[in-house]
Amino acid sequence: MLVLAPAACILSGIALSSAFDVLTRSMKFQLSKLFDDGPAISGNGSPNGSSASTVNTSSSKNEKTEKSEAAPKEKQSKKNRRKDKEVTESVSVKPKKEKRLSVLPLEASIVSTLLLIALGGFYVVHCVWAAAEAYSAPSIVLTSRSREGLHVFDDFREAYAWLSHNTDVDDKVASWWDYGYQTTAMANRTVIVDNNTWNNTHIATVGTAMSSPEKAAWEIFDSLDVKYVLVVFGGLVGYPSDDINKFLWMVRIGGGEFPHIKEPDYLRDGQYRVDAQATPTMLNCLMYKLCYYRFVETDGKGFDRVRGYEIGKKHFKLTHFEEVFTTHHWMVRIYKLKPQKNRIRGKLKKLKSSSKTSSTLAAGRKKNPWQ
Amino acid sequence: SQAAQAAEDGIRVLSAEKRIDLTGPIVKVFLTLKVQNTATGADASHVLIAFTPAEADHLAIVKATRAEGKRKKKTYIPLPVSPADPATAAPNGARLYSISLPTPLKPTDTTTVEVFYVLTHSLEPFPAEITQSESQLVYYRDSAVLLSPYHVQEQGTYVKTPSSRVESFTRVDPTSRSGPDVKYGAYGNQLPYAYSPIILHYENNHAFAVVEELVRKVEISHWGNVQVTEHYKLKHGGAKHKGVFSRLEYQARQSISGASSFKNLLARLPPRVHSVYYRDEIGNISSSHLRSDSYKSELEIEPRYPLFGGWHCTFTIGYGMPLQDFLFESADGRRFANLTFGCPLLNTVVDNLTIKVVLPEGSKSPQAVVPFETEQHLETSYSYLDVVGRTTVVIKKKNVVGEHNVPFQVYYEFSPIFMLAEPLMLVTAVLLFFAACIVYLHTDLSIAKSQASS
Repeated sequence: MLVLAPAACILSGIALSSAFDVLTRSMKFQLSKLFDDGPAISGNGSPNGSSASTVNTSSSKNEKTEKSEAAPKEKQSKKNRRKDKEVTESVSVKPKKEKRLSVLPLEASIVSTLLLIALGGFYVVHCVWAAAEAYSAPSIVLTSRSREGLHVFDDFREAYAWLSHNTDVDDKVASWWDYGYQTTAMANRTVIVDNNTWNNTHIATVGTAMSSPEKAAWEIFDSLDVKYVLVVFGGLVGYPSDDINKFLWMVRIGGGEFPHIKEPDYLRDGQYRVDAQATPTMLNCLMYKLCYYRFVETDGKGFDRVRGYEIGKKHFKLTHFEEVFTTHHWMVRIYKLKPQKNRIRGKLKKLKSSSKTSSTLAAGRKKNPWQ
Repeated sequence: SQAAQAAEDGIRVLSAEKRIDLTGPIVKVFLTLKVQNTATGADASHVLIAFTPAEADHLAIVKATRAEGKRKKKTYIPLPVSPADPATAAPNGARLYSISLPTPLKPTDTTTVEVFYVLTHSLEPFPAEITQSESQLVYYRDSAVLLSPYHVQEQGTYVKTPSSRVESFTRVDPTSRSGPDVKYGAYGNQLPYAYSPIILHYENNHAFAVVEELVRKVEISHWGNVQVTEHYKLKHGGAKHKGVFSRLEYQARQSISGASSFKNLLARLPPRVHSVYYRDEIGNISSSHLRSDSYKSELEIEPRYPLFGGWHCTFTIGYGMPLQDFLFESADGRRFANLTFGCPLLNTVVDNLTIKVVLPEGSKSPQAVVPFETEQHLETSYSYLDVVGRTTVVIKKKNVVGEHNVPFQVYYEFSPIFMLAEPLMLVTAVLLFFAACIVYLHTDLSIAKSQASS
């Protein structure tokens, strides 16, 4: 359909142009007839006189057109000996063409011209309105109309401005790759993956971290020297392109590289859910926790406006991350990696993810940097 | 200076009343001194006031007035205050300022002088870091007795705090406290340079808005517009924020969460201001309101995020004003622009203020007249259609507060014929272009002669 748009524009331009042509020629003809006919009309009968003058003016026009036709034709076909023939042909054809020329009455043509000009004016107004309403939505600032007027959601720029002014220059921010370029440009901070990352394993690492439980995610991010994690959450205001909706890609890409992320672990009946029907892996993954941290306290029930149901796990605490900033409409949430807790000499904390610690025990006690 | 000292030696302060206003982020002190010249032979022409070195470093402005007339016909005439001659000795590095009296004080005569001064960055937040739900407490250090180079016969100090939560205050008898006010009661017969340090620890949740750097560019255009562009670097100068920032707590429990944070600032602009914009490096900030009436405009700006202790933000405010409100002709034929010094944001302190007044092209011998001490130099800036550049007067000052928002003038000479320079330039350019078109259309650049001419 879009291919037809330029064709339609050109055709309508031609139509408008020829309409103006006919109307203005009618007006010119009618006005000249009005001024020429004045003294002559008393003498002759009006129809005869008008037809005679029509013929006269048309013949005079004919001569003019003949001359103008001849001149360019001469210039164009200098070597063409048939130019005389063409001139005579055009002369013989012309009177027939001229007789069929439609001439509209004067008032009608004036009114029609004014209406066409008004149509042009309204078209301009309409185009400006359509461009302002439908084609001017930058995806970084969202607007919604309410009874009180225009409501502006400038959360993305709020978060990037906060990052650029209130974090250290060398701090690294981890988020999904969609926000990489925006973070680099507006927040002026180093990101882990951005829109042009070709290294699929690197993206898969971030995806795995977002899909893992808190401790595993903390370790992945700590190994990448990340300080802040940024997630986009649309559940409070109903913004559909948030990270929970993109979560399936994090699982698939992560699972493609790291076999311990299995997509069926996150699916219930073939669907990704975050309500009470969600799988425990889903309810414990980092993305869920970072998005819905203390979300239940906003309305008491934790109703997610995008997914359209209440969330599954409502009350939980974060152990390895702390919230440092959430924007005005909760659309962007920024968390900081908590530093490692001090280990007390001689006493080891309960071995939770024992695989890692047992391997270090087997390899010999790793040098504790905190002692 | 020995002779000068001899004259001032005769002054005694009969009564001193010091009122300290600690309700905002800036300390404002009102001092009323009733002095008497007890010297037998000499007239006293100056009255000296003393500040500790710390106070003198943070002193933003010192003003002095004297009341003339009685009761209803009282008028206050301003007195010039300037730093005293550094040769006058003062113990422990105290700095002296001298107030010039309009008429010398005859022996045994008394007069009352009112001094007002402002101290910036004199409130130290303690604890230095607070969480979101805590209130901000600050230390204020001063002296119970007035630091003065003269004998003070009778004095009292009254301190006003914003709320009735005063954690602690040093007691120097007689001291009394009632709600938010603390009175350091009447002390009699103090020697010169007597000093009794006190510390007040109290709650101050007022917005500590500190503009670290402000660059104001005022462009004067003789075509009828004065364009002002201001670049701000704003910081919350109070106790630093530590730990979690919870938007939930901030929005739900507004009375206790983020008590010392602020989310909007008010700027006072001249009336008839147009095309006001408020943006930062990444784009326009839509959260602002402009209310104008016939004698002022008020712009309320909300930075993108609320400012907690130690948080920064930067933004730019720009607006245009009609030229006829600001450009006048002086008696000697020079033109002068009457502009307002300082920062339009209310209740803020500016650490570094730079004002650049860009004069139109062709202005000569610019001169800025500012009622207080500033650093000035000249620069050249280049803008649209400039050939030689525009003379710019750059005025710098540190430690600027709201009391500095007074008019100042920039004088310059400009002959009206220079106004034609820009239109003539444009006309000439278009003329040359059209002439080139004419020449091009009428020249025949073909190498072979055209067949038609044969």
